[in-house]
Amino acid sequence: MNNTPVMRRGAALAAALMSASLVLTACGGDGDGTGVQAAETRSAEPAGTRSVKAENGTIEVPADPQRIVTIGNTNLPFIDLGGKPVGVTEVSDSDLAALPQDQKAVYEAAEVVGSNGGEVDLEKLAALKPDLILVQFHSSDWDKVGERLEAIAPTVLWGLDTEWKAFADAIAEAGDVADALSRQKAEFTEKVAKIQSTYGKVIGGTSFVDVSRGDWNDPGTFYIADIGCSEIARDDIGLDLPEAAEGKDPLAYESLPFEQIGELSTYDVITYPVDAEGKPTASFVPVTETNTWKALPAVTSGRALGLFCPGNNSYGPVIRYLDSLDSALATLPAAK
Amino acid sequence: MSAHVDFGRRALVLRRGRIAVRLPFRPLVVCAVLAVAIAGMAVLALMTGSYQLTPGQVLSALTGRETGIVHDVVVDWRLPRVAAALVFGAALGVSGAIFQSLLRNPLAEPGVIGFSQGSYTGALIVILLVDGTYTQLVGGALLGGMATAVAVYVLAHRRGVQGFRLIVVGIGVSAMLESLNTWLIIKADLDEAMSAAAWGAGSLNGVSWDRVVIGGACIAVLLLLAGVANRPMRQMELGDDAAASHGIRVAPVRLGLILVGVALTATVTAASGPIAFISLVAPQIARRLARTAGITLAPAALVGALLCLASDHLAQHVAPTPLPVGVITVVLGGGYLAYLLFTEVRRRP
Amino acid sequence: MTTLTLRRDGPGAKTAPGPRRRLLGLVVALAALAALLVLSVMIGSTSIAPSAVWDALVRSSDGIDQFAVRDFRLPRTIVGLVVGVALGLSGALIQALTRNPLADPGVLGVHAGASFAVTVAVGLLGVREAQGYMWFAFAGALVVTLLVLALGSTRRGSSPVVMVLAGVCVGAVLGGAREALQLTDPDAFDMMRYWNAGSIVGRPLEVLWPILPFFAVAVILAFVVSGPLNALALGDEVAAAQGVGLARTRVLAVIALTLLAGGATAIAGPIAFVGLMVPHVARWIVGPDQRWIFAYSILLAPSLLLVSDILGRVVMRPSEIPVGVVTAFVGAPVLVALVRRRKASGL
Repeated sequence: MNNTPVMRRGAALAAALMSASLVLTACGGDGDGTGVQAAETRSAEPAGTRSVKAENGTIEVPADPQRIVTIGNTNLPFIDLGGKPVGVTEVSDSDLAALPQDQKAVYEAAEVVGSNGGEVDLEKLAALKPDLILVQFHSSDWDKVGERLEAIAPTVLWGLDTEWKAFADAIAEAGDVADALSRQKAEFTEKVAKIQSTYGKVIGGTSFVDVSRGDWNDPGTFYIADIGCSEIARDDIGLDLPEAAEGKDPLAYESLPFEQIGELSTYDVITYPVDAEGKPTASFVPVTETNTWKALPAVTSGRALGLFCPGNNSYGPVIRYLDSLDSALATLPAAK
Repeated sequence: MSAHVDFGRRALVLRRGRIAVRLPFRPLVVCAVLAVAIAGMAVLALMTGSYQLTPGQVLSALTGRETGIVHDVVVDWRLPRVAAALVFGAALGVSGAIFQSLLRNPLAEPGVIGFSQGSYTGALIVILLVDGTYTQLVGGALLGGMATAVAVYVLAHRRGVQGFRLIVVGIGVSAMLESLNTWLIIKADLDEAMSAAAWGAGSLNGVSWDRVVIGGACIAVLLLLAGVANRPMRQMELGDDAAASHGIRVAPVRLGLILVGVALTATVTAASGPIAFISLVAPQIARRLARTAGITLAPAALVGALLCLASDHLAQHVAPTPLPVGVITVVLGGGYLAYLLFTEVRRRP
Repeated sequence: MTTLTLRRDGPGAKTAPGPRRRLLGLVVALAALAALLVLSVMIGSTSIAPSAVWDALVRSSDGIDQFAVRDFRLPRTIVGLVVGVALGLSGALIQALTRNPLADPGVLGVHAGASFAVTVAVGLLGVREAQGYMWFAFAGALVVTLLVLALGSTRRGSSPVVMVLAGVCVGAVLGGAREALQLTDPDAFDMMRYWNAGSIVGRPLEVLWPILPFFAVAVILAFVVSGPLNALALGDEVAAAQGVGLARTRVLAVIALTLLAGGATAIAGPIAFVGLMVPHVARWIVGPDQRWIFAYSILLAPSLLLVSDILGRVVMRPSEIPVGVVTAFVGAPVLVALVRRRKASGL
């Protein structure tokens, strides 16, 4: 599809305004709906289908889906894989700000059909005439609107607990963007191998801890990040990072008061969040300003490393994180 | 049956043989106007939506002459949603009216005895800790709400239940549950927390025919019971002793009314989440519109229905993305009641 | 319409204890508060030896433990004390003013106003610093309280029922608008779910200083109006006959309670229940005299807050529970037990 976003939106609107018979041909049968979408340059080849296994069963999806709507957490991972959804749901400003410009443009070109959870404007979604809907949200939201989504177009559902790599695989398969995925995967594997071989010795006998602080945190609290990017550093790279006990909530869910900053002195190396320019993120600055932080052995000996984590739910941002980890580890002073 | 309007006493007298029912005039007019407004609002709701349809298409879909997506949109999406708003709104209005009359308190609603907070706690536990399905969520909400209501009733029971003690105990228990809810929301993953909050706001999105029919049947039975209890309830507004002197057994009637009021709210909560504030403001607005001395059920039901319907319409169209209806009922109902209060206060010397 | 929320404390409904016993009680409450202040510095979610705490307080020795005590525990204790006093006194004021033993500053829309203003600041204006949105909370609380008073006032004065209803309505409208903002903005939702809990963790003393002058004015005003409020409790006519300026008393009381509740909310977020329960309990202890109720509330409220905060630090170590979550769990059982014990007519 090479028409501009504005035209596409206009086309969707025009389609919605069409009379009953046209709407009927578009959505009722297996027709391709070209009659309505005059502005679309869609090929009229008979669409084949593929089966995809998902949380809501085995779904027959179009082999070459053209009008995809992403709902919930599928928005950004799909765009990261080069997908161009026609409809999306809202994402947070902070996530949007961390996106590369081109991906941001793709997101903003799409129609917003809902906030989050089950609050999706089904009629607006239907008017977009999607041929595939990709969904990741809570199962109780699915119980609310799932059946209706399936009535609009083939719908593929993933639960909130889907692991990010499996999620990327599944989105790539369902959304027909597997080429981009294999390129990203190759780059990821190569980066991991490079970090492991270069810093193997440093990583070996050193204990790490990743601390962070979000905008949402109460003033005077921080948390130990064991999910998100540091999960990748721990599980893929092999850094010795703390991890919540089996079956317990992640450590990141516990807001710790600043008086516990002192307890970080038991770790050899501390990592903390920085922005793209390498400065501590605005929400983390209060931690670095405390006397306790300044007195930590890791901080005084140059073993506090800033890491840039633009996202952790797809390969693109994770690769950017690995680049940041690579250059941070390079600055570590020689082992004690 | 003959009816004539007696303007002198501003009351409508219905006669059938020797039985005559006197109905005050103003409430009747108010009810009629509300009914017309509801009908108009329902038509508007059926006609408008993000999926553009002509009135002709809507009509032919309603008469069964459409298939495919047009049929789905009108008959399976819009129509049950309108029906749900009407029935659930009315149920909430009546539920609030019962509580306000019973506790002789303009701020009373089933929330007073902890039902709302309890059902939210139940739902949060299912969403956040069990990761349950929608059916489990409904079960958890009802169980939480009922258990809390029973706990409050039992804790307030000491040689009978006295209104003031019931309110204080309700406030205490609700405050504890509210704290627990805040804690659960803090400890949860953001996606799950937002999903839970959207449920907690009360939403009619995705409401289906089977939920409307099952919920509607329960509500119909409960409304019938409420209608039967209307007369003793009015007399109890004058005080327990006065009611007892009219031969009303106060304690069982009060318990029965509490049960009906809670069950009405529980049914709505099960079908759509806790839609806030209708049960609080609908009886108040109704009383001010109809200028009746006490709380009356029929106007409260109609105001509740209209409020819910109008709010749901706004909820779908006022923001760029749809909002849960409960967010709007609060704004609309609260704003309108504030306006009524304001004019009422100005009128006084 | 007769309303239960309006049931007032008839003076003499219960014989008040003599001045000696009330004074003795006050001393006991003061001692308890002092002990809690000490405990609050000693106990935290990290264990620091008493000697290190002592070290931090009396010597200017540096070390991670000493920093923890001086930079975090001590300010937190002071903030808890000040916020507790403000909450208790504002609750006592609103209950006296509306003659409603179940009123708390929340009914006048203080929390709703503060919370709405913070959501707007965070969600629409992108404010992220506590020192920034604190002022939004303060301003929101003040503006909304004034709005509620304007709505609830007749030309002759204000009716408590209408004022409470107006507060509930305005609170609901703002609450709905806030929720709409939050549900469409995950960032704002995330931030507000923590702010809404109410906490005194990590507020540096710099946050407290600018609010303190407002509190000082409010406390003085509160004691100025405590006498007239006693007369008011007997009814408007009686008070007027005794030469009490009704309008002046109400206006001063409202200014005081708004500053106190608004300031406390600005610092700590919406901590519910302290302002409702403490004056209620104080009344049970000392009878209907507002001066005594105020004095007791000033001592009991920070005690409840500090007990709750200390509990919140230790029960889930190493993480903490925000004090606003704990207060209801500590206070509500007491309230329920008391209401079951007392004959309702004694209220």
